[in-house]
Amino acid sequence: METNMTESQQSEIKYEMIGKPDYAMIKMTLKANQTVQVEPSAMAAMDTNIQMKTKAKGGLFAGVKRMLSSESFFMNEFTAQNSSGELYISPALPGDMDHVYLNNNTIILQGSAFVASSMGVTINSQFQGLKGLFNGEGFFFIQATGTGDLFFNTYGGILEIPVDGDYIVDNGYIVAFDSTLQYETQVIGGLKLGLTTFMSGEGIVCKFSGKGRLWIQTRQLAPYIGWAWTFAPRKNNS
Amino acid sequence: MNIELLHRPANAVAKITMSSGEKIISEAGAMIAMSEDMSVVTSKYAKGGSGGFLKGIKRLFAGENFFMNRFSPGPNGGELYLGTSSMGDLMTRKIDGEFIVQGGSFVACEDTIDVDASWQGFKSLFSGESTFWVKLSGTGQVIVNSFGAIYEVDVNDTYTVDTGHIVAFEETLDFSVRKAGGSWISAIFGGEGLVCEFNGKGKVYCQSHNQNNFGYSLAPMLKEV
Repeated sequence: METNMTESQQSEIKYEMIGKPDYAMIKMTLKANQTVQVEPSAMAAMDTNIQMKTKAKGGLFAGVKRMLSSESFFMNEFTAQNSSGELYISPALPGDMDHVYLNNNTIILQGSAFVASSMGVTINSQFQGLKGLFNGEGFFFIQATGTGDLFFNTYGGILEIPVDGDYIVDNGYIVAFDSTLQYETQVIGGLKLGLTTFMSGEGIVCKFSGKGRLWIQTRQLAPYIGWAWTFAPRKNNS
Repeated sequence: MNIELLHRPANAVAKITMSSGEKIISEAGAMIAMSEDMSVVTSKYAKGGSGGFLKGIKRLFAGENFFMNRFSPGPNGGELYLGTSSMGDLMTRKIDGEFIVQGGSFVACEDTIDVDASWQGFKSLFSGESTFWVKLSGTGQVIVNSFGAIYEVDVNDTYTVDTGHIVAFEETLDFSVRKAGGSWISAIFGGEGLVCEFNGKGKVYCQSHNQNNFGYSLAPMLKEV
Protein backbone atom coordinates (compact mmCIF):
# COMPACT_ATOMS: atom_id res chain seq x y z
CA MET A 1 0.00 0.00 0.00
CA GLU A 2 1.32 3.39 -1.00
CA THR A 3 1.72 5.91 1.78
CA ASN A 4 2.89 9.46 1.97
CA MET A 5 4.45 11.45 4.77
CA THR A 6 2.91 14.72 5.89
CA GLU A 7 5.08 16.46 8.39
CA SER A 8 6.25 13.65 10.65
CA GLN A 9 2.99 11.77 10.48
CA GLN A 10 2.55 8.84 8.17
CA SER A 11 -0.73 8.73 6.26
CA GLU A 12 -2.45 6.74 3.55
CA ILE A 13 -4.82 9.51 2.49
CA LYS A 14 -3.29 12.82 1.48
CA TYR A 15 -4.80 15.44 3.77
CA GLU A 16 -4.38 18.88 5.24
CA MET A 17 -5.96 20.24 8.42
CA ILE A 18 -7.51 23.67 8.13
CA GLY A 19 -8.59 25.97 10.97
CA LYS A 20 -6.79 24.19 13.81
CA PRO A 21 -7.15 24.33 16.75
CA ASP A 22 -10.46 26.15 17.23
CA TYR A 23 -12.35 25.28 14.04
CA ALA A 24 -10.52 22.33 12.55
CA MET A 25 -11.65 20.67 9.34
CA ILE A 26 -9.92 18.33 6.86
CA LYS A 27 -9.18 18.81 3.19
CA MET A 28 -8.51 15.37 1.69
CA THR A 29 -7.15 14.70 -1.75
CA LEU A 30 -8.27 11.21 -2.66
CA LYS A 31 -6.35 9.31 -5.30
CA ALA A 32 -8.25 7.79 -8.22
CA ASN A 33 -10.53 5.07 -6.84
CA GLN A 34 -9.46 5.68 -3.23
CA THR A 35 -12.30 5.44 -0.70
CA VAL A 36 -12.73 6.98 2.75
CA GLN A 37 -15.47 6.38 5.31
CA VAL A 38 -16.90 9.44 7.01
CA GLU A 39 -19.42 10.04 9.79
CA PRO A 40 -22.85 11.20 8.52
CA SER A 41 -23.39 14.89 7.67
CA ALA A 42 -19.71 15.81 7.82
CA MET A 43 -19.14 16.38 4.09
CA ALA A 44 -18.81 20.11 3.48
CA ALA A 45 -17.66 20.29 -0.15
CA MET A 46 -16.23 17.98 -2.82
CA ASP A 47 -15.25 17.56 -6.43
CA THR A 48 -18.01 16.31 -8.70
CA ASN A 49 -16.19 13.06 -9.47
CA ILE A 50 -16.49 11.98 -5.85
CA GLN A 51 -19.28 9.53 -5.34
CA MET A 52 -21.01 9.00 -2.04
CA LYS A 53 -22.59 5.77 -0.83
CA THR A 54 -24.35 5.40 2.48
CA LYS A 55 -23.69 2.14 4.27
CA ALA A 56 -25.33 0.60 7.28
CA LYS A 57 -22.34 -0.71 9.13
CA GLY A 58 -22.29 -4.26 10.39
CA GLY A 59 -25.49 -5.21 8.56
CA LEU A 60 -28.98 -3.93 9.05
CA PHE A 61 -29.79 -5.74 12.27
CA ALA A 62 -26.65 -4.63 14.06
CA GLY A 63 -27.30 -1.17 12.68
CA VAL A 64 -30.79 -0.97 14.09
CA LYS A 65 -29.54 -2.21 17.43
CA ARG A 66 -26.92 0.49 17.43
CA MET A 67 -29.43 3.13 16.44
CA LEU A 68 -31.55 2.19 19.44
CA SER A 69 -28.56 2.73 21.66
CA SER A 70 -28.24 6.18 20.09
CA GLU A 71 -24.99 5.40 18.31
CA SER A 72 -24.49 6.40 14.71
CA PHE A 73 -25.87 3.74 12.46
CA PHE A 74 -24.83 4.90 9.02
CA MET A 75 -21.47 5.71 7.56
CA ASN A 76 -20.86 7.48 4.27
CA GLU A 77 -18.24 6.18 1.87
CA PHE A 78 -16.67 8.64 -0.55
CA THR A 79 -14.78 7.36 -3.61
CA ALA A 80 -12.87 9.39 -6.17
CA GLN A 81 -14.07 8.07 -9.52
CA ASN A 82 -11.49 7.66 -12.30
CA SER A 83 -9.27 10.53 -11.25
CA SER A 84 -8.22 12.13 -8.00
CA GLY A 85 -10.59 14.48 -6.19
CA GLU A 86 -10.87 16.79 -3.19
CA LEU A 87 -13.16 16.29 -0.24
CA TYR A 88 -13.68 18.75 2.63
CA ILE A 89 -14.87 17.25 5.90
CA SER A 90 -16.24 19.41 8.66
CA PRO A 91 -17.45 17.81 11.91
CA ALA A 92 -20.53 19.01 13.74
CA LEU A 93 -18.75 20.28 16.83
CA PRO A 94 -16.49 23.32 16.58
CA GLY A 95 -13.14 22.32 18.00
CA ASP A 96 -9.89 20.55 17.43
CA MET A 97 -9.06 17.57 15.23
CA ASP A 98 -6.32 14.98 15.25
CA HIS A 99 -5.04 12.23 12.99
CA VAL A 100 -3.37 8.94 13.83
CA TYR A 101 -2.02 6.29 11.53
CA LEU A 102 -2.92 2.81 12.70
CA ASN A 103 -0.48 0.06 11.88
CA ASN A 104 -2.28 -3.09 12.86
CA ASN A 105 -3.17 -1.72 16.26
CA THR A 106 -6.26 -0.50 18.10
CA ILE A 107 -7.42 2.83 19.44
CA ILE A 108 -10.40 3.25 21.71
CA LEU A 109 -12.33 6.37 20.87
CA GLN A 110 -15.22 8.27 22.39
CA GLY A 111 -18.04 7.49 19.93
CA SER A 112 -18.91 11.04 19.01
CA ALA A 113 -15.24 11.82 18.31
CA PHE A 114 -15.05 9.65 15.19
CA VAL A 115 -14.82 11.72 11.98
CA ALA A 116 -13.33 9.56 9.23
CA SER A 117 -11.03 6.65 8.49
CA SER A 118 -9.38 4.63 5.75
CA MET A 119 -11.25 1.53 4.63
CA GLY A 120 -8.54 -0.58 6.26
CA VAL A 121 -9.72 0.61 9.67
CA THR A 122 -12.62 -1.32 11.16
CA ILE A 123 -14.95 0.56 13.47
CA ASN A 124 -16.53 -1.60 16.12
CA SER A 125 -19.30 0.16 17.94
CA GLN A 126 -20.39 -3.03 19.64
CA PHE A 127 -17.46 -2.57 21.95
CA GLN A 128 -18.84 -2.61 25.45
CA GLY A 129 -15.62 -2.52 27.42
CA LEU A 130 -16.24 0.83 28.96
CA LYS A 131 -19.97 0.75 29.16
CA GLY A 132 -20.19 0.15 32.86
CA LEU A 133 -17.71 2.88 33.54
CA PHE A 134 -19.49 5.59 31.68
CA ASN A 135 -23.04 4.60 32.39
CA GLY A 136 -25.35 7.50 32.81
CA GLU A 137 -22.94 10.00 31.33
CA GLY A 138 -24.19 9.55 27.79
CA PHE A 139 -20.88 8.24 26.58
CA PHE A 140 -20.17 5.31 24.38
CA PHE A 141 -16.82 4.15 23.13
CA ILE A 142 -15.84 2.52 19.86
CA GLN A 143 -12.81 0.53 18.80
CA ALA A 144 -10.87 1.47 15.69
CA THR A 145 -8.69 -1.45 14.57
CA GLY A 146 -6.55 -2.16 11.53
CA THR A 147 -4.16 -0.30 9.30
CA GLY A 148 -4.74 3.16 7.89
CA ASP A 149 -5.81 6.68 8.85
CA LEU A 150 -8.12 7.66 11.68
CA PHE A 151 -9.41 11.22 12.12
CA PHE A 152 -11.18 12.35 15.27
CA ASN A 153 -12.38 15.64 16.72
CA THR A 154 -13.81 17.16 19.89
CA TYR A 155 -15.44 20.28 21.19
CA GLY A 156 -12.53 22.29 22.62
CA GLY A 157 -8.87 21.58 22.05
CA ILE A 158 -7.15 18.18 21.98
CA LEU A 159 -4.06 17.38 24.05
CA GLU A 160 -2.00 14.26 23.54
CA ILE A 161 -0.51 12.85 26.74
CA PRO A 162 2.15 10.14 26.51
CA VAL A 163 1.29 7.87 29.42
CA ASP A 164 4.07 5.81 30.95
CA GLY A 165 2.95 4.59 34.33
CA ASP A 166 -0.27 5.83 35.86
CA TYR A 167 -2.35 8.85 34.93
CA ILE A 168 -5.70 10.25 36.09
CA VAL A 169 -8.30 11.88 33.80
CA ASP A 170 -11.75 13.22 34.61
CA ASN A 171 -14.11 10.86 32.73
CA GLY A 172 -15.79 13.63 30.80
CA TYR A 173 -12.55 14.69 29.11
CA ILE A 174 -11.40 11.40 27.55
CA VAL A 175 -11.22 11.50 23.75
CA ALA A 176 -9.15 8.45 22.78
CA PHE A 177 -6.39 6.13 23.94
CA ASP A 178 -4.21 3.29 22.74
CA SER A 179 -5.62 -0.11 23.61
CA THR A 180 -2.26 -0.89 25.20
CA LEU A 181 -3.40 1.17 28.19
CA GLN A 182 -5.33 -0.38 31.04
CA TYR A 183 -8.07 1.66 32.63
CA GLU A 184 -10.26 1.62 35.69
CA THR A 185 -12.62 4.15 37.21
CA GLN A 186 -11.98 5.59 40.60
CA VAL A 187 -13.62 7.96 42.95
CA ILE A 188 -11.29 10.85 43.48
CA GLY A 189 -9.59 10.93 46.84
CA GLY A 190 -9.69 7.14 47.06
CA LEU A 191 -12.63 5.25 48.42
CA LYS A 192 -12.81 7.28 51.57
CA LEU A 193 -16.24 8.84 51.37
CA GLY A 194 -15.28 12.18 52.75
CA LEU A 195 -15.72 15.79 51.77
CA THR A 196 -13.32 15.44 48.84
CA THR A 197 -15.33 12.68 47.22
CA PHE A 198 -18.56 14.62 47.22
CA MET A 199 -17.55 18.24 47.00
CA SER A 200 -14.44 18.26 44.86
CA GLY A 201 -16.54 18.62 41.72
CA GLU A 202 -14.29 16.10 40.04
CA GLY A 203 -16.62 13.15 40.48
CA ILE A 204 -15.48 9.96 38.88
CA VAL A 205 -12.08 9.79 37.26
CA CYS A 206 -10.44 7.20 35.04
CA LYS A 207 -7.02 5.82 35.97
CA PHE A 208 -4.91 4.75 33.01
CA SER A 209 -1.91 2.48 33.48
CA GLY A 210 0.79 1.17 31.20
CA LYS A 211 2.42 2.73 28.18
CA GLY A 212 0.52 4.39 25.36
CA ARG A 213 -0.99 7.60 24.01
CA LEU A 214 -3.97 9.29 25.60
CA TRP A 215 -5.88 12.16 24.03
CA ILE A 216 -7.96 14.50 26.18
CA GLN A 217 -10.15 17.52 25.41
CA THR A 218 -9.83 20.96 26.96
CA ARG A 219 -13.56 21.74 27.11
CA GLN A 220 -16.79 19.82 27.60
CA LEU A 221 -20.03 20.49 25.85
CA ALA A 222 -22.34 19.60 28.75
CA PRO A 223 -21.40 22.52 31.05
CA TYR A 224 -21.82 24.92 28.15
CA ILE A 225 -25.30 23.58 27.44
CA GLY A 226 -26.14 23.70 31.14
CA TRP A 227 -25.06 27.32 31.28
CA ALA A 228 -27.01 28.26 28.13
CA TRP A 229 -30.17 26.66 29.55
CA THR A 230 -30.11 29.01 32.49
CA PHE A 231 -31.07 31.70 29.97
CA ALA A 232 -34.00 29.73 28.49
CA PRO A 233 -37.34 31.54 28.78
CA ARG A 234 -39.50 30.00 31.51
CA LYS A 235 -43.21 29.41 31.35
CA ASN A 236 -44.91 31.63 33.83
CA ASN A 237 -46.94 29.32 36.02
CA SER A 238 -47.59 31.71 38.84
CA MET B 1 6.03 25.59 39.73
CA ASN B 2 5.79 26.09 36.01
CA ILE B 3 2.48 27.12 34.44
CA GLU B 4 2.13 26.75 30.68
CA LEU B 5 -1.03 27.87 28.87
CA LEU B 6 -2.06 25.70 25.91
CA HIS B 7 -4.74 26.07 23.24
CA ARG B 8 -5.08 29.79 23.73
CA PRO B 9 -7.21 31.75 23.20
CA ALA B 10 -10.53 29.96 22.59
CA ASN B 11 -10.07 26.71 24.52
CA ALA B 12 -7.20 27.50 26.85
CA VAL B 13 -5.99 25.10 29.54
CA ALA B 14 -3.19 25.41 32.08
CA LYS B 15 -0.55 22.70 32.28
CA ILE B 16 1.05 22.98 35.71
CA THR B 17 4.32 21.20 36.44
CA MET B 18 4.93 21.00 40.17
CA SER B 19 7.85 19.93 42.30
CA SER B 20 7.37 18.01 45.48
CA GLY B 21 6.21 20.32 48.25
CA GLU B 22 4.50 22.80 45.94
CA LYS B 23 0.75 23.12 46.21
CA ILE B 24 -1.96 24.74 44.16
CA ILE B 25 -5.54 25.65 45.11
CA SER B 26 -8.17 25.49 42.38
CA GLU B 27 -11.85 26.02 41.93
CA ALA B 28 -13.77 22.74 42.31
CA GLY B 29 -14.27 20.95 39.02
CA ALA B 30 -11.33 22.54 37.21
CA MET B 31 -9.17 19.41 37.10
CA ILE B 32 -9.02 17.74 33.68
CA ALA B 33 -6.12 15.32 34.14
CA MET B 34 -3.19 14.80 36.48
CA SER B 35 -0.38 12.53 37.66
CA GLU B 36 -1.68 9.52 39.49
CA ASP B 37 0.03 10.25 42.80
CA MET B 38 -1.28 13.81 43.06
CA SER B 39 -3.17 14.21 46.31
CA VAL B 40 -6.44 16.16 46.34
CA VAL B 41 -8.01 17.68 49.40
CA THR B 42 -11.24 19.63 49.24
CA SER B 43 -11.97 22.52 51.55
CA LYS B 44 -14.92 24.76 52.02
CA TYR B 45 -14.49 28.48 51.53
CA ALA B 46 -17.06 30.82 53.00
CA LYS B 47 -18.46 32.99 50.26
CA GLY B 48 -20.07 36.37 50.43
CA GLY B 49 -19.60 36.54 54.16
CA SER B 50 -22.41 34.21 55.05
CA GLY B 51 -20.90 30.88 55.87
CA GLY B 52 -22.19 27.70 57.34
CA PHE B 53 -21.91 24.27 55.87
CA LEU B 54 -25.59 23.92 54.95
CA LYS B 55 -25.59 27.19 53.13
CA GLY B 56 -22.55 25.91 51.30
CA ILE B 57 -24.39 22.82 50.18
CA LYS B 58 -27.37 24.88 49.14
CA ARG B 59 -25.16 27.01 46.95
CA LEU B 60 -23.41 24.00 45.58
CA PHE B 61 -26.69 22.65 44.31
CA ALA B 62 -27.63 26.07 43.04
CA GLY B 63 -24.81 25.57 40.59
CA GLU B 64 -22.20 27.69 42.26
CA ASN B 65 -18.80 26.39 43.13
CA PHE B 66 -18.09 26.91 46.72
CA PHE B 67 -15.47 24.30 47.38
CA MET B 68 -11.85 24.41 46.39
CA ASN B 69 -9.34 21.66 45.86
CA ARG B 70 -5.76 21.69 47.05
CA PHE B 71 -3.44 19.64 44.86
CA SER B 72 -0.03 18.44 46.06
CA PRO B 73 2.22 16.16 44.02
CA GLY B 74 4.03 13.04 45.19
CA PRO B 75 7.75 12.82 46.03
CA ASN B 76 8.84 13.04 42.38
CA GLY B 77 6.66 16.02 41.54
CA GLY B 78 3.80 15.86 39.07
CA GLU B 79 1.68 17.56 36.48
CA LEU B 80 -1.87 18.84 36.51
CA TYR B 81 -4.15 20.15 33.76
CA LEU B 82 -6.74 22.72 34.83
CA GLY B 83 -9.50 24.06 32.61
CA THR B 84 -12.69 26.04 32.79
CA SER B 85 -16.23 25.44 31.63
CA SER B 86 -16.64 28.64 29.65
CA MET B 87 -15.21 29.35 26.25
CA GLY B 88 -12.27 31.67 26.37
CA ASP B 89 -8.79 32.47 27.43
CA LEU B 90 -6.70 32.00 30.54
CA MET B 91 -4.14 34.33 32.02
CA THR B 92 -1.43 33.69 34.53
CA ARG B 93 0.52 36.27 36.47
CA LYS B 94 2.51 36.56 39.62
CA ILE B 95 0.99 38.71 42.31
CA ASP B 96 2.67 40.34 45.23
CA GLY B 97 0.03 42.04 47.31
CA GLU B 98 -3.73 42.04 46.92
CA PHE B 99 -5.62 41.06 43.82
CA ILE B 100 -9.41 41.02 43.39
CA VAL B 101 -10.86 38.42 40.99
CA GLN B 102 -14.44 38.09 39.82
CA GLY B 103 -15.72 34.82 41.33
CA GLY B 104 -16.44 33.14 38.00
CA SER B 105 -12.99 34.01 36.69
CA PHE B 106 -10.94 32.45 39.47
CA VAL B 107 -9.27 29.22 38.33
CA ALA B 108 -6.34 28.61 40.65
CA CYS B 109 -3.46 30.05 42.66
CA GLU B 110 -0.42 28.90 44.51
CA ASP B 111 -0.94 27.70 48.06
CA THR B 112 1.22 30.60 49.31
CA ILE B 113 -1.71 32.90 48.54
CA ASP B 114 -4.57 33.48 50.92
CA VAL B 115 -8.00 33.06 49.30
CA ASP B 116 -10.88 35.08 50.70
CA ALA B 117 -14.14 34.37 48.89
CA SER B 118 -16.11 36.54 51.26
CA TRP B 119 -14.71 39.86 50.10
CA GLN B 120 -17.40 42.48 50.46
CA GLY B 121 -15.93 45.44 48.65
CA PHE B 122 -18.66 45.67 46.05
CA LYS B 123 -21.46 44.30 48.17
CA SER B 124 -23.91 47.13 48.44
CA LEU B 125 -23.41 48.12 44.84
CA PHE B 126 -23.83 44.70 43.38
CA SER B 127 -26.68 43.54 45.56
CA GLY B 128 -29.11 41.63 43.43
CA GLU B 129 -26.39 40.39 41.13
CA SER B 130 -25.09 36.89 41.58
CA THR B 131 -21.50 37.98 41.16
CA PHE B 132 -19.14 37.32 44.02
CA TRP B 133 -15.52 38.34 44.32
CA VAL B 134 -12.45 36.58 45.54
CA LYS B 135 -9.68 38.50 47.27
CA LEU B 136 -6.23 36.96 46.87
CA SER B 137 -3.40 38.16 49.09
CA GLY B 138 0.21 37.15 49.19
CA THR B 139 2.98 36.30 46.77
CA GLY B 140 2.64 33.68 44.07
CA GLN B 141 1.17 32.76 40.73
CA VAL B 142 -2.52 33.14 39.92
CA ILE B 143 -4.57 31.71 37.03
CA VAL B 144 -7.78 33.44 35.91
CA ASN B 145 -10.12 32.78 33.00
CA SER B 146 -12.09 35.13 30.79
CA PHE B 147 -15.16 34.80 28.63
CA GLY B 148 -13.64 35.53 25.23
CA ALA B 149 -10.26 37.22 25.06
CA ILE B 150 -8.51 38.92 27.94
CA TYR B 151 -6.85 42.33 27.85
CA GLU B 152 -4.93 44.44 30.30
CA VAL B 153 -5.64 48.06 31.06
CA ASP B 154 -2.94 50.06 32.80
CA VAL B 155 -4.85 52.58 34.88
CA ASN B 156 -3.02 55.75 35.67
CA ASP B 157 -5.59 58.21 36.94
CA THR B 158 -9.11 57.06 36.10
CA TYR B 159 -10.79 54.40 33.95
CA THR B 160 -14.33 53.07 33.49
CA VAL B 161 -15.20 49.40 32.86
CA ASP B 162 -18.59 47.74 32.48
CA THR B 163 -18.97 45.50 35.53
CA GLY B 164 -19.69 42.47 33.31
CA HIS B 165 -16.28 42.84 31.72
CA ILE B 166 -14.10 42.89 34.84
CA VAL B 167 -11.97 39.80 35.29
CA ALA B 168 -9.59 41.02 37.99
CA PHE B 169 -7.82 44.10 39.28
CA GLU B 170 -5.03 45.15 41.58
CA GLU B 171 -6.19 46.28 44.98
CA THR B 172 -3.99 49.37 44.77
CA LEU B 173 -6.85 50.88 42.78
CA ASP B 174 -9.78 52.69 44.31
CA PHE B 175 -13.09 51.79 42.76
CA SER B 176 -16.67 52.88 42.81
CA VAL B 177 -19.68 51.55 40.95
CA ARG B 178 -22.22 53.77 39.27
CA LYS B 179 -24.80 53.74 36.49
CA ALA B 180 -23.18 54.14 33.09
CA GLY B 181 -25.20 57.07 31.79
CA GLY B 182 -26.03 58.77 35.05
CA SER B 183 -29.74 58.06 34.69
CA TRP B 184 -31.76 54.88 35.04
CA ILE B 185 -33.16 55.41 31.54
CA SER B 186 -29.79 54.98 29.90
CA ALA B 187 -28.92 52.23 32.35
CA ILE B 188 -31.94 50.21 31.31
CA PHE B 189 -32.44 51.12 27.66
CA GLY B 190 -28.91 51.96 26.69
CA GLY B 191 -27.80 48.43 27.42
CA GLU B 192 -25.03 49.70 29.64
CA GLY B 193 -25.87 48.74 33.18
CA LEU B 194 -23.42 49.31 35.94
CA VAL B 195 -19.90 50.45 35.39
CA CYS B 196 -16.97 50.47 37.70
CA GLU B 197 -14.81 53.53 37.90
CA PHE B 198 -11.22 52.81 38.88
CA ASN B 199 -8.97 55.51 40.28
CA GLY B 200 -5.30 55.56 41.02
CA LYS B 201 -2.48 53.42 39.69
CA GLY B 202 -2.75 49.72 38.92
CA LYS B 203 -3.81 47.09 36.43
CA VAL B 204 -7.33 46.02 35.50
CA TYR B 205 -7.88 42.85 33.47
CA CYS B 206 -10.95 42.81 31.27
CA GLN B 207 -12.71 40.27 29.08
CA SER B 208 -13.74 40.94 25.50
CA HIS B 209 -17.25 39.53 25.99
CA ASN B 210 -19.92 39.69 28.63
CA GLN B 211 -21.19 36.22 29.44
CA ASN B 212 -24.67 37.41 30.38
CA ASN B 213 -25.09 39.38 27.18
CA PHE B 214 -24.22 36.29 25.19
CA GLY B 215 -26.66 34.22 27.25
CA TYR B 216 -29.48 36.70 26.74
CA SER B 217 -28.85 36.71 23.01
CA LEU B 218 -29.26 32.92 22.99
CA ALA B 219 -32.47 33.05 25.01
CA PRO B 220 -34.95 33.63 22.14
CA MET B 221 -33.59 30.51 20.41
CA LEU B 222 -34.04 28.28 23.44
CA LYS B 223 -37.40 26.58 23.80
CA GLU B 224 -39.53 27.48 26.76
CA VAL B 225 -39.17 25.04 29.62
